[in-house]
Amino acid sequence: MSKEQSGLRMSSDAYYSMMDENRKKGFWLDPRTKLFLILMCVLASMFAPSLTYQFVLVLLIALLGVLSGRWKYAVKSVCFYAVICALTVWIMAEMTGTLRTMFVAFLGLFHKVYACGMLAGIVLATTKVSEFLSAMNRIHAPEKLVIPLAVMLRYIPTIQEDWHFIKDAMRMRDVSPTPVGFLKNPGMTIECIYVPFMMAASKAADELSIASVTRGIENPNPRTCLIQIKCGVVDWIGMGFAVAFFALELCVRGGVIG
Amino acid sequence: MIEFENVSFSYQGQEHDGLHEINLKIADGECVLFCGRSGCGKTTVTRLVNGLIPQFYQGELQGRILVDGQEISSLPMYRIASKVGSVFQNPRTQFFNVDTDSEIAFGIENQARPPKELAERVEQTTEDLNIQKLRKRNIFELSGGEKQKIAFASVYAMNPKIYLLDEPSSNLDMTSIQELAKHLRLIKNQGKTILIAEHRLYYLMNLADRIVYLEQGEIIKIFTPEELRRLPQAERERMGLRAVDLQEILPPANQPVAGKEVLKLCDVALHYKKSGILHGIGLSAAKGEVVGVIGRNGAGKTTFLRALCGLHKSCDGQFLWDGRRMERRARLKRSYMVMQDVNYELFAESVEAECSFGIRNPDHALAEATLGELGLAAYRERHPNTLSGGQKQRVAVAVSMICGKDLLVFDEPTSGLDFDSMAQVAGLIRRLSEMGKVIFIVTHDFEFVCRTCSRVLHFDEGEMADDVPVVTDALPKLRELFSVPDEKMI
Repeated sequence: MSKEQSGLRMSSDAYYSMMDENRKKGFWLDPRTKLFLILMCVLASMFAPSLTYQFVLVLLIALLGVLSGRWKYAVKSVCFYAVICALTVWIMAEMTGTLRTMFVAFLGLFHKVYACGMLAGIVLATTKVSEFLSAMNRIHAPEKLVIPLAVMLRYIPTIQEDWHFIKDAMRMRDVSPTPVGFLKNPGMTIECIYVPFMMAASKAADELSIASVTRGIENPNPRTCLIQIKCGVVDWIGMGFAVAFFALELCVRGGVIG
Repeated sequence: MIEFENVSFSYQGQEHDGLHEINLKIADGECVLFCGRSGCGKTTVTRLVNGLIPQFYQGELQGRILVDGQEISSLPMYRIASKVGSVFQNPRTQFFNVDTDSEIAFGIENQARPPKELAERVEQTTEDLNIQKLRKRNIFELSGGEKQKIAFASVYAMNPKIYLLDEPSSNLDMTSIQELAKHLRLIKNQGKTILIAEHRLYYLMNLADRIVYLEQGEIIKIFTPEELRRLPQAERERMGLRAVDLQEILPPANQPVAGKEVLKLCDVALHYKKSGILHGIGLSAAKGEVVGVIGRNGAGKTTFLRALCGLHKSCDGQFLWDGRRMERRARLKRSYMVMQDVNYELFAESVEAECSFGIRNPDHALAEATLGELGLAAYRERHPNTLSGGQKQRVAVAVSMICGKDLLVFDEPTSGLDFDSMAQVAGLIRRLSEMGKVIFIVTHDFEFVCRTCSRVLHFDEGEMADDVPVVTDALPKLRELFSVPDEKMI
C-alpha cells in the first residue's frame, strides 16, 4: 500500500516539474496581466497622438503574439493593418469633400478599435478557461459576471466547427459560402449563416452551462487550479512596457517631448 | 439513498417529458436503468436528482426528491455537484477546457481542493480509467468517444456517491460503448449508485439491478434484467424498446438481386491537409442500393461521404455516374447529405418555405406531393425548429427529393433514437431505395444496419478493408465488424 502511494506521489511530483518546464519553455502571461494589457491598449488607442504611434502599438501587440507562438496571426494582422494605414495616408492626401469626411470618420473608428481587437484575439487564443476562472477568483470578480464570460470563452472555438458544417449545408443548397456569393445574394446568404448559427449557439450555451454547474462551478470557495497561476517577472515586464508606452504617448500629446 | 415521494413535474410551456406521481426508492450501490420512448420522462428523472430541475429548467414541481434524507431542491448546485456527478449525451458541449488535463481537474478545482491533491487525483483517475493516452491532449482533436471518456473522468475525479448518465452512448461507436460499460462496472464495484437514462439497453443488461420502464411520465413497470430478457421481441418493440441482446439481431436471409449499376468509383484516394486518409477505393453501386459505411472514429468515413457529395476538395481518382465522369460540381448537383445534426441544414422559417428555399423556379406541386409522401403535410406552416429530431430529418430528406438528388448520404441518422424512431428512419430509407436512389449511410447501429442496408463497407488503416453483404451467411463477419459482444460480455 505504502509503496503504491509513494509511486503515486512520485508521479505527481514528476507531473509538477513537467508543468514548470512547460511554462519555462513557452512564454506565459497571467490572465490578470492580460486583462491589464487590454485596458492599457484601450487607453493607448484612445490617446494615440498619431498614426505612427498606432502602428507601433500594433507592432508591439504583434511581438506579444509572436512570443506566445501565434506568429502567423501576428504577421497577417500587421500586413492587413499596413494596407489600411497606406490607404488612410492616401485618402488624407488625395481625397476632398464628403467622400473624404466619410472615409476619415470610418477609418478613425477603425484605427481606434483595431489594436484592441487584435490583442483580444491573442488573449482569447492563449488563455485557458481554468486559468481565467482562477484569475477572476483571485481578484474577487462577481460570479454572475465570470461564468457567462467563461462560457463565452469556451464557445469561441466551437464557432469554427459549426462554420464547417454550415458551409457544407450551404453548398448543397447551391448557396455559395464565399464573399462573391454574399455580394450576389446578400439576403439569402445571411439567412443561411445566422439561422443555423443561432440554433447551434443557443443549444451549445445551454449545454455548456449545464456541464459547468453540475460540476460545481458556482462554489463560492476560492477555486484552486492544476496549473498554478502567479504573476512572474515576465508579467511585470509586460505591464511595465505597456505603462511606459502609454506614458510616452501622454508626454507627446502634452507637448513634453517632440 | 434516493427517494422520490409523489413527484410530478411539467416543463413550462411544454406538454411532453413531464412526470406524474413518481414514487421510487433507490438504495445505495444500486444501478437503475430508466427506459422508454423519447419524451417518456426518463431524462427528467435524472434532472430531478442532479438539481437541474428546478434550478435550470423551470416548471411546476410537486412532491419531494430526497438524497440521503436531504431535499435536493433546498441545496445549492455546487453542494449537489459533490454528491451527484452527471454525464450527458453530447460529447461536444460537455467539456469546458481546451486541454484534457485541465478538464479532468475541472470539477475538483471547483471544489477548491489543494493543488497537490489535484495532481494526485488526476493521476489516480488516469490510472483507474486507463486513459494515459488521452492525457495532455487538445480536446477539440479527440473523437466523440474519447471526449465522452474525458467527461466521465472529470466526474470520476470528483468521486461522487451517485453517478447520473443521460443517454451516454448516443454518439459512441460499439468499441467506445464497451469501454463505457467497463467504466460503469468499475464504479459499481466501488459501491456507487448509478442512474442511467438510455435507449440502447444491451450493454447495460449485466450492470443494471432494476430497469424502470416509463410511459408518458408514469412508471409502468419495473423489470429485473432477467424479466426484460424474457420479454418476447414483439412485446418489447411495442413498448418502443431497443434490442436487449445484439446476438438476437439477424440480417435477412438474402438480399434482392441488385439492379443495373449506376455509380462507380475507380481508384479513389482522399487527402486531408496533404496527408492521405483513404486510398485505392473502387466500388460500384446500383440504383436502390443502401450501402452502410463503418469503421473506427477517424477512419475517414465522414470524409468519404463528403467526397462523394463533392464537398471534399482534395481527392484523386474517378467518380462515374451511368458511365460518365462526374467532377466535383457535378457530384454536388447530384447528391445530398443528411447531417447528424440536421439543424445546420435547415434555414427557412417554415417547412413549406424550406422546400423551396434557394430553388429558382420551385415546383409547388412536387413540394406538396413530397411533404404528403413523407407525412409532413400537417406541419407545413410550422417552424422547422419546433419539430422533433426525426421530423427535421424528414424535412431534410424532402428537400433532397424536391431538388431531384439521386445520391443521398446519411451521417449517423439513428444516434439517440428510440425503437419507434429508428424503425421510422429505416422505413424512410427503404422508401427512398424503392424510388431508385443510391444511398450511403455512416452508422454504428447494428440493429439499424440489419434492417436497412444491403451491404457494408468497412474502412480501416486508410483502405476499404471489407465489402460485406448484409445476409445471414455473412453473420460472423458482420458481428466481428460491429464488435457485437458475446453473451458473456463483461
